[in-house]
Amino acid sequence: MLLKDFLMKIINGFKWFFSVLGESHRSRVTELTSYEERELENIFILLLMGSFAGIPSPPAFLAVELFPYLEHELRVLEARAKDSSDALAELAGLMDIG
Amino acid sequence: MKTFFFTGKGGTGKSTMASAAAWQLALTDKRVLAVSFDPAHNLGDIFGLKLSHKKKRYDKKLYLMEVNLEKASVKYIKENINLLESIYSYLKPFNMDRYFQILKYSPGIEEYASLTAMEELLRIEKENFDYIIIDTPPTGLTVRILALPVVTLSWIDRLKKIRGSILEKRYTIHNINGRISKEGIKLAYKESDDMVMKKLKEIEMRFMRLRTFLEGNDNSIVVVFNPDFLSLKESERLINALKELKLPFRIAINNKVEDKYTEEAERIEKKLLRNNDYVKLIRIKRMEPALKKAYTMVDNLTEVLL
Repeated sequence: MLLKDFLMKIINGFKWFFSVLGESHRSRVTELTSYEERELENIFILLLMGSFAGIPSPPAFLAVELFPYLEHELRVLEARAKDSSDALAELAGLMDIG
Repeated sequence: MKTFFFTGKGGTGKSTMASAAAWQLALTDKRVLAVSFDPAHNLGDIFGLKLSHKKKRYDKKLYLMEVNLEKASVKYIKENINLLESIYSYLKPFNMDRYFQILKYSPGIEEYASLTAMEELLRIEKENFDYIIIDTPPTGLTVRILALPVVTLSWIDRLKKIRGSILEKRYTIHNINGRISKEGIKLAYKESDDMVMKKLKEIEMRFMRLRTFLEGNDNSIVVVFNPDFLSLKESERLINALKELKLPFRIAINNKVEDKYTEEAERIEKKLLRNNDYVKLIRIKRMEPALKKAYTMVDNLTEVLL
């Protein structure tokens, strides 16, 4: 019984190890796509809010009607605005430089 | 239901012509609604009634209404701001909600509110009336309002494309990682689940319907002009804009023509309508201001309108 428990623990440990390994691999694979996706979200919300920043933009009412569903994109925009001075570092990190 | 938009330079007699047309159509036993979208309303003055945002019965078959543009924009903004504030309540500590309040001063909101009011009116009253006569604001604003559906549709198209590629990327990430969520928010990766895409499609449908109606057979644009140089220049610009927007300019009314200047009036008509052979032309003589009831029309407009 004790041996069985012990073996199960070892097996579960291996399972956990490989799942984390797999996950980390997967997240490395999707890193670039995630980056692209985040940039696109940023562009999307920036386009909608452009009239407030002075860039040509769709009529303001379109933004008004879409805002209620854009919480995530607004957060992305805020985060991008905060990191904007360090964009190079992010890119370097993404490409494993340094 | 048929609609007539009476457009033209300020002071050419748009409201007078629209009122006359509405009255004459009602006399032929048609159910008519005359609506004024001009911020400086005259419809009530012409019929001697105090009109408001709600339609008022003037005669058995004739109803009148003056759209309050300010009210319409405030209503539109309020609805959306309330929705925003209820969703983004966590932004209150950062005063972000104030940012939404200033939206009401953003350019273009008034035009959009008038267009929304127009779309709503046409949708609701479609069954109740045979004819809807619309008295429009002066040229510049009218063209901007009528151009909105086309401009908006091209923007929606672009936004839909960007949204589409966002969803595509999310789908890829979901397939590899098995999930896609950030900061506890589960992100949609299918078009059918994405509220933003849904809303974009909904707005697109609304504008498509409106554009189809405005360009369709049941809608006519009437250009009212006077036989003078300035009116000719502005009407030319208006007609060009209508052509660009593919809006059906069908009737031209040359108003306030004096007998002694008939030749000049003819010259202006020819110049204005040189490439518009299919447009019906009505010439209306200047009325004697001494007449107390100056709004009794001599010429019958219904022959052309019906």
